[in-house]
Amino acid sequence: MEIVVCVKPVPDAETRLRPAPEGTTLDPEAVKFVLSGYDESAVEQALLLKESVPGSKVHVVAFGPAPRTEEVLRAAVALGCDQATWVDAGAERWADPIRAARALAPVLGGLPHDLILCGKQAGDDEGGLVAAALGELLSLPDFGAVVDLRWDPGSSRFRFQRAVETGQESWTAPAPCVVGLQQAWNDPRTAKLPAILKSRKATIARVAAAPRSASSPTVVPERFELPPPRTGAKMIDYRTPEEAAQKLVRILREEAKVFP
Amino acid sequence: MTPTVLVVGELQGGHLASGSLEAIGVARSWSGATVVGVVTGGGSRAAAEEFGRFGVAEAYALDDPRLDSAPAAARVAALKHAAEVSGASVLLAAGTTFGRELVGRMAVAWEAAAATGVTELTMEPGGVRVRRPVFGGRATETLRLEGPRATIALRPHAFALPAEAPVPCSVREIGPAELPPAERTAQRTGVTVAPAGSGPGLTDASIVVSGGRGVRAPENFRLVEELAAALGAAVGASRAVTDAGWRPTSFQVGQTGRAVSPQLYIAVGISGAIQHIVGMISSRVIVAINSDASAPIFRVADYGIVGDLFQIVPALTAEVRRARGL
Repeated sequence: MEIVVCVKPVPDAETRLRPAPEGTTLDPEAVKFVLSGYDESAVEQALLLKESVPGSKVHVVAFGPAPRTEEVLRAAVALGCDQATWVDAGAERWADPIRAARALAPVLGGLPHDLILCGKQAGDDEGGLVAAALGELLSLPDFGAVVDLRWDPGSSRFRFQRAVETGQESWTAPAPCVVGLQQAWNDPRTAKLPAILKSRKATIARVAAAPRSASSPTVVPERFELPPPRTGAKMIDYRTPEEAAQKLVRILREEAKVFP
Repeated sequence: MTPTVLVVGELQGGHLASGSLEAIGVARSWSGATVVGVVTGGGSRAAAEEFGRFGVAEAYALDDPRLDSAPAAARVAALKHAAEVSGASVLLAAGTTFGRELVGRMAVAWEAAAATGVTELTMEPGGVRVRRPVFGGRATETLRLEGPRATIALRPHAFALPAEAPVPCSVREIGPAELPPAERTAQRTGVTVAPAGSGPGLTDASIVVSGGRGVRAPENFRLVEELAAALGAAVGASRAVTDAGWRPTSFQVGQTGRAVSPQLYIAVGISGAIQHIVGMISSRVIVAINSDASAPIFRVADYGIVGDLFQIVPALTAEVRRARGL
């Protein structure tokens, strides 16, 4: 099975966020870029399928600027991906999810693919649009919020679950299709040191991203803001638990207006 | 020229879901805008008329139950048809799994600028300006969606439900969906609705009560569940709880679990590791109950009670029941 997994370099969760000097986007200086939890789940899913279907290959693809994009591709190779392709964004420093999908689609279309995996959403902008846009661009069905995707050789179909707002759905789908993975359901593996060292020398194929079409709609970032720091909780004084409960209910009802 | 806004109706139990109603409210709040609805799937014909209850006089319906077990892709042609015939320049959908999929596909099929998770938006000449939380609510970005068309998914609960304003709604039916034979396409084979009594889905709930390590033992978690039941809330947990196996990982709120943004979030016995905070910081009102006055959760909470949760929580559950007449 030919599995393609798309990943995106995003700031490490521990990074202190701050706006770039012009204030329109995140300041990428001094930020450590990593695979997001969603993408880790997607890579893990790709590797689990590879291990269960003999003769499978995993090709990891990412769109973005140097050097961060190459770094996360190497991280994915260290986890066990067989091949890597970097869709070089060149001087383009910011891209909305639809632009990213439009840059990825022609490259993915040119690779053998029985399955295209990505995280359900990016760990930074949380757009959650790439899988659907890739599906539309490549004329394939797409499924978001997927957990536990398996290949059933008997029926030659994928079987998987989706976590939707009202509960859980079971699906079957023929290859090829596009799937966005839920995070933290498959306990993604971590790379071993020898694999990390080896990934530093791995070949990363580089292709320049197709330029934006002048006529296509554009998304322009105008402002990136941090919320004002929370000033700390208003503490409730009480003598008995019952008094604490009464005060809190009164506050939720009359002051915060969130009591059901 | 006044803009036309196409609102995608999502069905839940045969009726327009609350997220779709929130989208109607947003569309109606734009002065001069014409609002048109579109519903697809089984029972759409009847559900489309519900748009009229909320002041929408025109709706499109593709009433085809086969769509309910087909991928979202099968609905795109109908949406595009409704958008083109109505002359819409903005499409609004609820920020559900379903809504985001349609927004992503329509961005390509209808050549529209797209955004999801939107909490504020204004219609401007030449586009739509949107604001949306990013990085799990640790930052917000403002984007300008340029061009003649925009397709937008709203963040659940970020907008109020619209007041009822009944008008007759004229429903136009869209021709049958073109679906490939079942063996060549994906099929939904089952649906497990979250069991009644376990509360609403965690990411969709307007109130969430979460328990952490301070609960001390799995059997004590019922204190959290009883408070949630009294409030009609969903139950969440910190990573300490799911790692210990007290509750399944589907309960986990945080960086590696679910991100939630309810109207009210109550953290019980949760210290407030950054891992957890990023999953709930965009909640509108946060209440923390913890025995340690120096716990970091009190720095992000709006209201705090320092005390023994084994005394506070049962008292709170009783008080909530009394206040709600339960």
